[in-house]
Amino acid sequence: MKIACFVEAYNFKDSSERSALLRFKSTAESMGHAFEFIFKDKISKIQNYDALFIRAVTDPSNSAYIVSRLAEQYGLRVIDDPHSIRTCSNKVILHDIFMKNNIPAPKSSLFTGDYSGEALDDMRKTLGFPVVIKTPYTRFSSHVEKANNEEEFIKISRHMLRKTRVLVLQEYIHSNFDWRVGMLRNEVLYSCKYCIPEGGWKVKSKINGRNVWGDTIAVSRDSISTELKETCIRLSECVGDGLYGLDVKETDGGYKVIEINDNPSIYEGYEDAVDKDIHERIINALVS
Amino acid sequence: MIIVSEDEDDSDSNPFLFLRQPVHDSILNINHDYRYLRMGYYVSAHAETFGVDVTPSCAEIMDAYRNPLLIEKARRNGMLTGDYRLLVSPQGELRLPVLLFAVNPFTNNSMKVVNSGEKLPGMIKKMSYDARFPVSLHPLTGEVLEIIQIFGESTNEETSEFTKKFFEIFNIPICKLVVQIDDDGIILNHCEPAMKKEVDWDIVHDKVHEIKKKRYENSLLCRGIQFQG
Repeated sequence: MKIACFVEAYNFKDSSERSALLRFKSTAESMGHAFEFIFKDKISKIQNYDALFIRAVTDPSNSAYIVSRLAEQYGLRVIDDPHSIRTCSNKVILHDIFMKNNIPAPKSSLFTGDYSGEALDDMRKTLGFPVVIKTPYTRFSSHVEKANNEEEFIKISRHMLRKTRVLVLQEYIHSNFDWRVGMLRNEVLYSCKYCIPEGGWKVKSKINGRNVWGDTIAVSRDSISTELKETCIRLSECVGDGLYGLDVKETDGGYKVIEINDNPSIYEGYEDAVDKDIHERIINALVS
Repeated sequence: MIIVSEDEDDSDSNPFLFLRQPVHDSILNINHDYRYLRMGYYVSAHAETFGVDVTPSCAEIMDAYRNPLLIEKARRNGMLTGDYRLLVSPQGELRLPVLLFAVNPFTNNSMKVVNSGEKLPGMIKKMSYDARFPVSLHPLTGEVLEIIQIFGESTNEETSEFTKKFFEIFNIPICKLVVQIDDDGIILNHCEPAMKKEVDWDIVHDKVHEIKKKRYENSLLCRGIQFQG
């Protein structure tokens, strides 16, 4: 089969990501498939392929969505499919999904800019401080802020509401790491711990004016707890059967899912450090 | 069916209230702007999360507003479209004059007409944000019209059959269409949000009234009461 891998130039800048992309290519070829990188100027040629694997950043606003939807309409097998992109790219939609399906998650609510005393009191009682404020389009820890008190909350939320009509507010849960569980076709593909860097509060934190990423510690998918596995499968099934990365906090009260992402990062030596077959499994999902 | 609209006269619920509640009935989402991250989009997304039918769906919104998706869907459904090309930078021989439409997340009302080969590279560079996003090029072969489509009705009589077909295929209650009229007929080039002031809200009210009347008649039928008059 002929697999198109939709990428942008930035996908080749980091050596670990570049190596992972080349690993996908060599894996596909060793399995007897053609694997070609395509860029946005070749979107309209997508019908010439049998399957599409998207590695460029996905969002309904960008080119990756267009190629995904066109590919789906031409009958290609697609990772990430348009429905998964529309769902996972938007934290407001995820908020709805979590609520509707009773997914164990930090308490959260939507905020559209009601700064009345009653609304702020309500928020304080429900979520408390610190509170995490997210734009709908947050990714890679960007556009996510923590407000330690009401004054900070008003300042940060007002600023964010200049670019969006709705924000997601989430109870802050302190932890030293987030579980990242990779899912494919509603099965656990890989698992790792994304550590919070010292002095920060999220995986990519600004510390002394610099963006610092925490370490990634790969953990065998067979060794994670049944509760974590089942929680991830339940949420993954609510979205679809694509390739997802779930971020989960481990708390005294059980696991709490922060979010589910389509198009999860796969860098050589990080997510694939323990479970070595993830490239092969993804290629298999594209061709079978 | 629940009607969600910012217009209080027409709606059963306004969008802000709607987003805070669970949804149990099908939804008609009336808005002049369904762009991604706008309230019109969120109403449809909220309804879909609860598994109910919604007009328009999020997929339908994206299919209409993203130019290459619009054109491909229109073609598959037998509508006349131009021979468009997607470019991120000027390349190959480009026939002039052309209509250009931005395919980026930021630009609305993006149509540009380019008659001069000298101006084309600069315009593509600008609209593509320096090759970051594609630009959709359509040959200019006829008279260009911007029309407002409302539940299949057109603000331009000449295009009323066309907008009826557009609504049947795309299911977008209100939008602006860019079309060309030439010897072959009406060619679809682009779809984008209408501005509030461009919409003939009397047509919207009439359509909503018809829908509500049908809804009322159906509810009577469901309860076994014969509707008279």
